[in-house]
Amino acid sequence: MADNSASSGRLKYEAGFAREVYGMENGSYLKLCMQCGVCAVSCATFKIMDYSPRRLFALVRAGRKEEVMKSNTFWMCTTCLMCKARCPRGIPIVDVMHDLKGLALKQGYVNYPQAAFYQAFWQDLAGRGRIFEGGVTARYFLKRGPKDFGKIMAQKDVGLKMLSHGRLPLRPPKAVKGKKELMQMVAKARELEQKGAN
Amino acid sequence: MRYFFYPGCSMEAGAGSYTKSLEAVARALDIELAEVPDWNCCGATVASSVIGDAPAQVMSLRNLAMVEGSGLDVVVACSSCYMNLALANRRFQNDPRFRALATKSLAAGGMQYRGKVRVRFILEVIANDVGFERIAARVKRPLKGLKVAGYVGCQSVRTIPWEFDDPEQPVALDELIGALGATAVPFPLKARCCGASHTLPQGEITSSSCRDILESAGEARLMVTPCPMCQLNLDAYQSEVNKAYGTNFQIPVLFFTQLMAVAFDLAPSTYGLKANIVAPGPVLAQYGVAV
Repeated sequence: MADNSASSGRLKYEAGFAREVYGMENGSYLKLCMQCGVCAVSCATFKIMDYSPRRLFALVRAGRKEEVMKSNTFWMCTTCLMCKARCPRGIPIVDVMHDLKGLALKQGYVNYPQAAFYQAFWQDLAGRGRIFEGGVTARYFLKRGPKDFGKIMAQKDVGLKMLSHGRLPLRPPKAVKGKKELMQMVAKARELEQKGAN
Repeated sequence: MRYFFYPGCSMEAGAGSYTKSLEAVARALDIELAEVPDWNCCGATVASSVIGDAPAQVMSLRNLAMVEGSGLDVVVACSSCYMNLALANRRFQNDPRFRALATKSLAAGGMQYRGKVRVRFILEVIANDVGFERIAARVKRPLKGLKVAGYVGCQSVRTIPWEFDDPEQPVALDELIGALGATAVPFPLKARCCGASHTLPQGEITSSSCRDILESAGEARLMVTPCPMCQLNLDAYQSEVNKAYGTNFQIPVLFFTQLMAVAFDLAPSTYGLKANIVAPGPVLAQYGVAV
């Protein structure tokens, strides 16, 4: 990984960006970061990240919005919790990554395939209250379109094996009976969370 | 011993063999598991990124609100479900601002929660409520000489670090393997991430993580895990690992409850071994198990 890549681009300073991030649910924890790098060496996907969590947080503070939002760092996070368990400052790094994913989805930074997966997953969940893996997969490939055709073919063998071992139900599960009420709760929580943030 | 049981979406679908073997093992240990009525998805590792932490956690709390009146603990067997339910519960108990938000949100759907439910991971219940001595006493088919890698995976032990096990080098699963008469092999990556949901969008990430984990299992003939997603990645995609890296792994990956059902000599119909993609037959044949 190129160590200096964080400062190679033309500087476009966005004064509001750090504040935007601090205003998210877990964003203000970033102020505690002392740049020690324990998160980087703990991370399961560090090697394939554009920037380690430590570097990403430094870029947030510097207001480098485009570099942060276009990086793959938070999309690579698998929520394995190692950094959160180890961070000497007690920053819930995983939850900050969730916030950044949310910001990316909201503002249209959705080029990584993981973004399509997250959207597909939530749409499937919201429609039933429970997940149907087949439904998530179908929605995901529809969103990605022809550019992922090769991936569909690559998954074919595994899919057939799963099918023959009874691991791939073809019917969705029953919807939650209280789905309407569940979604009312979610809507209320989102509304209150918005109010609290502003 | 009575508990409410939260299965979650995987255990209702692709990980049916986990549910089946878990229920059989529970019966054999006089544990009564009642399914949480009308439970909803915990949001996995996805919902909080799409709708925000607090709304996703409210979804988890609805499941706890369903059973609070009973006074029973809720047992969870999926790592990700456990993480979401346990963290939402802890936040409700400790964060007054979130408690106020969650109370109002639940009320919008006609429900109430007071924060009294205990959320517990299946391995912790087995370690503390059942105890490994009772497990060992129930074994009718000791798996003597079987070298097993206990793959705990990431989330269950790090949701609330040191709650019941070491968050990086956990031991409860190894002790359980020992109680079944088998031998837990040294396994440095037993709590390393398997690559989780990257399988669909970027499978090469999962393959790379799984290769490291399978390699780290050393001389193990068999792997057991308590996590539906880890099991799927390591089992169904093992052939992809072999293809990508020219390796030749042939390690059956079982839910730990499947191995318990085998060691307890329960009815073979409860093992669910046909669901395993890397065939466990060759390894288990010497113990008289026909798959």
